[in-house]
Amino acid sequence: MTEKVAGVLRGAGESIPPPEDLGALVERVLEEAADVLFRVGSPLGPVFVAAGSRGVTCVGRAGGEEAFVRRYRERFGRLLVPAGERERGFAERLSAALAGRRVEVPLDLERMTPFQRRVMRVVRGIPRGEVRPYGWVAREAGSPGASRAVGNVMARNPVPLLVPCHRVVRGDGTPGDYGFSPREKVRLLREEGVPLEELSGSPYTATPTTGVFCHTTCRHARRIRPENRLPFRSPAEALEAGFRPCRACRPAAV
Amino acid sequence: MVVRGGEQSGRSEGPGLAERIACGDALAVQELVERHYAELYRYAFAALRHRAASEDAVHDALVRALEALGRYPEERIRGMSLRPWLYRITLNTVRNRLRARGREARLEDPGALAEPRGDPEGVMDALAALRLLPERQRVAVSLRYLQDLPYAEISAATGWPEGTVKTLVRRGLIRLRAAMEQEERSRGGER
Repeated sequence: MTEKVAGVLRGAGESIPPPEDLGALVERVLEEAADVLFRVGSPLGPVFVAAGSRGVTCVGRAGGEEAFVRRYRERFGRLLVPAGERERGFAERLSAALAGRRVEVPLDLERMTPFQRRVMRVVRGIPRGEVRPYGWVAREAGSPGASRAVGNVMARNPVPLLVPCHRVVRGDGTPGDYGFSPREKVRLLREEGVPLEELSGSPYTATPTTGVFCHTTCRHARRIRPENRLPFRSPAEALEAGFRPCRACRPAAV
Repeated sequence: MVVRGGEQSGRSEGPGLAERIACGDALAVQELVERHYAELYRYAFAALRHRAASEDAVHDALVRALEALGRYPEERIRGMSLRPWLYRITLNTVRNRLRARGREARLEDPGALAEPRGDPEGVMDALAALRLLPERQRVAVSLRYLQDLPYAEISAATGWPEGTVKTLVRRGLIRLRAAMEQEERSRGGER
């Protein structure tokens, strides 16, 4: 007799109307449960970029796609699926932003500490073709003296190029280290038109016409005529010589 | 006791689907949905008896499953038995929805939760009868007969020992039979 009941139940199970559009279902599930993987060109060559619903989480180059996806899963605990046709617009904006054009791409830095996020925000604001020392980033991020900590944040920058950590250099104006390789840092900076030779001798430049001193790559410093350029090794030296810090690039606390 | 089709359906997910998903294969996700969505939906619908609510419950379950696959270490994914695991997550999302609904129903007009038109009637009768069972019996009977899951997988999905599952199914069927017989008698009496 229970056989009959079981039969009725089986029949009921089979006649429950099945769902319709599985393709759309898959898409909706993936949208929520997985992050998206892009492969785009950049000044560092082809790179992988991962983005979640809040923005870009990671830019990387090492290994193939599979290795990147595995590492991403280990580091971020999220699945990655390749971008589809719908993400085309975002992919284009990404490659423009990676090339250093002024295109806003949202970043997801939720996993970082407040200090790390402040550092990232400061570094993101360094314009193309200009560089700033680690110590300056620390001060601008509200933690003067924490230049080593800034170096650590830069070394683990999950989104290189989008947060241009290659534009953060040593206090003496020499390029310093880079996550990919120091050679790559030099190449990137040259491509952006940073005068590395001049910089390494004189990270600061002043002009007697205005009595102002700047970071040597500041847009104001670059307009100073050759005959008026006065090189300095540190903000302290420039201050001592009676110059005041530029308001745009803030080479010293005011 | 008749055991039907347990062997084949126990392995229906095929080798390595979870691993392929973890490697970023979007087609593998498609495959997972194609293989398991219908049965998970059927389970959700049997319990919730509402199309949109069932779709939402299965959607939530699949999202949770993929999020978990993102977090699990590789060894765990490699040895994974996908089907009972998916059921386990779906059982939870469905149960949460039933509980939330229980809370709402006490506050609101119960008519608001009635199933929409267009669903076959005989199905609704059988599902309505299922609702009379205590929760564990209902889950066990649904998995065994609506879903055709073998006992081992029911045990894996619910976490209950296999013997317990068999007992729950047997008792559930006896109760259902009694309920259906009574229904028939009362219907006969009216005519």
